Parts: sequence; C-alpha cells; structure tokens
Amino acid sequence: MKRYTYVWLWQLITGVLIAVLLGIHMVIQHLDKILVFFGVNLGDTTSWSSMIERSRQVTWAGVYVALLAVLLYHGLNGLRNVVLELTTSQRTERAITWTIVAVGILVFVWASYVPIALLNK
Amino acid sequence: MEKPKTEQITFRVQRYDPENRAIPHFQEFVVPCSHGMTVLDALIYIKENLDSTLAFRTSCRMAICGSCGMLVNNYPHLACHTQVEEFCAKKITIKPLPNFPIIKDLVVDLTPFFEIHKSVKPYLLRSDVKEMENPTAEYCQSHETLQSFLQFTYCIKCGICVAACPTSASDRLFHGPQALAQCYRYCGDDRDDGEKERFPLVGTDHGVWHCHLAGACSESCPKGVDPALAIQLLKRRLVSRDLGIGKKTPPAPKVQPPTETKPKVPYPEFTVKQG
Repeated sequence: MKRYTYVWLWQLITGVLIAVLLGIHMVIQHLDKILVFFGVNLGDTTSWSSMIERSRQVTWAGVYVALLAVLLYHGLNGLRNVVLELTTSQRTERAITWTIVAVGILVFVWASYVPIALLNK
Repeated sequence: MEKPKTEQITFRVQRYDPENRAIPHFQEFVVPCSHGMTVLDALIYIKENLDSTLAFRTSCRMAICGSCGMLVNNYPHLACHTQVEEFCAKKITIKPLPNFPIIKDLVVDLTPFFEIHKSVKPYLLRSDVKEMENPTAEYCQSHETLQSFLQFTYCIKCGICVAACPTSASDRLFHGPQALAQCYRYCGDDRDDGEKERFPLVGTDHGVWHCHLAGACSESCPKGVDPALAIQLLKRRLVSRDLGIGKKTPPAPKVQPPTETKPKVPYPEFTVKQG
C-alpha cells in the first residue's frame, strides 16, 4: 500500500520543513537579537512598514505560503491519525480523511489569500 | 542451619469473576516472602494456602513460556522473572495485563493477540513453493544476516510489549509491537521471500505507520528484544521498496549438504561405562 508509505514520508518531510521555515520566521521576527549578535541589523522587523515591505517580495510570500502548506499537512495529518484511533469502521475512516482533506484545502486557500494579496500593496 | 529470613508482604490482587461479580475489585493477601522469592512464587503460595479460587496462568517458571505476564505495581512483568525484593515495598499490587480482555482474575484472553501474530505469516515464505513444501537441500545463510534479526527470534509471545504499548491502548486495530517485530524477523531473513504478502498487511494506517515510537515495548520486554527497533527497520524497508531505492538481495540459495563430514571426536574414556 504505497499510499500509506507516502503519507508517512510526507509527515517526516513536512516536520523537517517546519523546523527550517519556522526557524527562519522566528529568527527574523522574534529572535532578531541573534542576528544583531552576528552583525546583521534588520531594524524593527515587527513594525507595520517593515512587514509591508517584506510582503511585497515574492520570496517572503513564498516562504509564508510554504510554511502554511507544511503546517497544515503536518498538523491535519497528525490530527487524522489521532481521530482514526476512535473508530474501527473503514467507512468512518474514509469520511474523516476526506473531511480533513477538505478542511485543509479550504484553510489553505483562505489563508494563502493574505500573502498573495499583500504582494500588490 | 539458619532459617532464611522472611518478611510479611501484602499482595493486592485484582479479582474478577464474570460468573459471580462483574466488577473487578482488589483483595489483599499477606504472604511471608523470603530472599529470592518471585511474584509467581507468592501467587502460588496464595493459591495453595490462602485462596484456591485465584486464577493466573503459569507453566515453565523460568521466563521461557511467556504465560505469566501481569501488571506488577503498574508495570508489565513476567511474574516468574520478577523477584519480590525488586520493589522494596511492603505492598505489591498485581493486575492482569492491560490492552487484553480479562477472562478471570489475572488471566487475560490472548486469542486476538495470537490472531494478529498469525496474520503477519510468521514463517518462511518462498516463491519456489515446491521446494518450500518438500525441501531437497538447505538454504544458505551467513552469520551476519543471522545476527541482523537474531534478537527478534527470542520473542516468547508473552504479550508484555502489547500491554506496555500506548498505541495498542488507544487503537484497537493496531497490530502491536509483537506482530510487527515478527513481521520484520521474517522479512529480514534472507531465506524468506514473503515481503509481497506481508507488506500490504502491515503497511497501513493501523499497522507499522501508526507506531509513535514510544519505545515502551522495548523497555518492558523481559527477553531483551527490541521491537521498536524492528518496527523502525520495517518502516525503512517499506519506504525503500515503495520508492524503489536501496538494494534488494535475492533470497538465499540452496546448498547441498556437505559430502564429507569430519569424523566424530571419540568420547573421553572416563565418560564411557567400563565393561
């Protein structure tokens, strides 16, 4: 059953990607003193103007959309694994899986609208 | 000769008799315990001297048969392999193994456990069915290959790993560490060619992919087997087969029995009965 293997493998890959992408976000946004220690001063990264400036760059929009995608996959697949323990019926399992897939797609489309819309601000 | 020192230890044993009282409850027994006495010895003492209705499974009394698995002070142990002194306590609580239906007192129903074990086909499977059923020669296996899975052959099917496994506690369909480790034991054996039959059974949401790697199975195994390692090796094997990476060694070839054998060393004279 290759499908199950890929689902698990992607869970591992997204876990690593979360560590990388969330690490970038945390260092830039909240742990900027680390960068100052290494001689890189980005100024006040949490200010409105700084945020808008970053949002206009395709790279940053890409980072945030990618972070959203991997977080959604990792979190929702983990949730699915937990919920599947509650049932022994294959029909219910399928219903849970498709509901979670639908929720994931909906949240991804909804939440990725913000970084994409900010590109033109 | 000096009499061995004894100490009065209270055993709090979970009782459950579906025919009389449907609610599990505890009963206390005071047992004189001496140095080296096992939990199983204490249970036998209770059965012989205090309450003959107490039910528990036992057979070999030397950690080989795997019959006397039970929860001693909330941790799964083989009663015959656990000494009373280990707990350094005046009171010891004994319960049946969790994650199994209780039949009576400390006796649990291992039928579902053995059914899952059987479902992973724990025996050598070959594509050459004729040779497998009517072998004409031996299969050749190196020492290194044997070492790679040898520890998993030491499983005595006591069910302790399944009782300790948090995933088995929450997912009734989970195959459990014992069956998955046995699956790897045969898939890792180069005399076997049954991956195609076993992988669809274990590579599912309730199979190998549902293991959270808590490691409780390996920690609790009374025989020192590491089922968590077997599950990780099984995952690696499944990924490499599904992605088509890594090398797949062909099943072990047949070898003819040696034509020449060394002569037997004669018995030393002192072991042979004299006329």
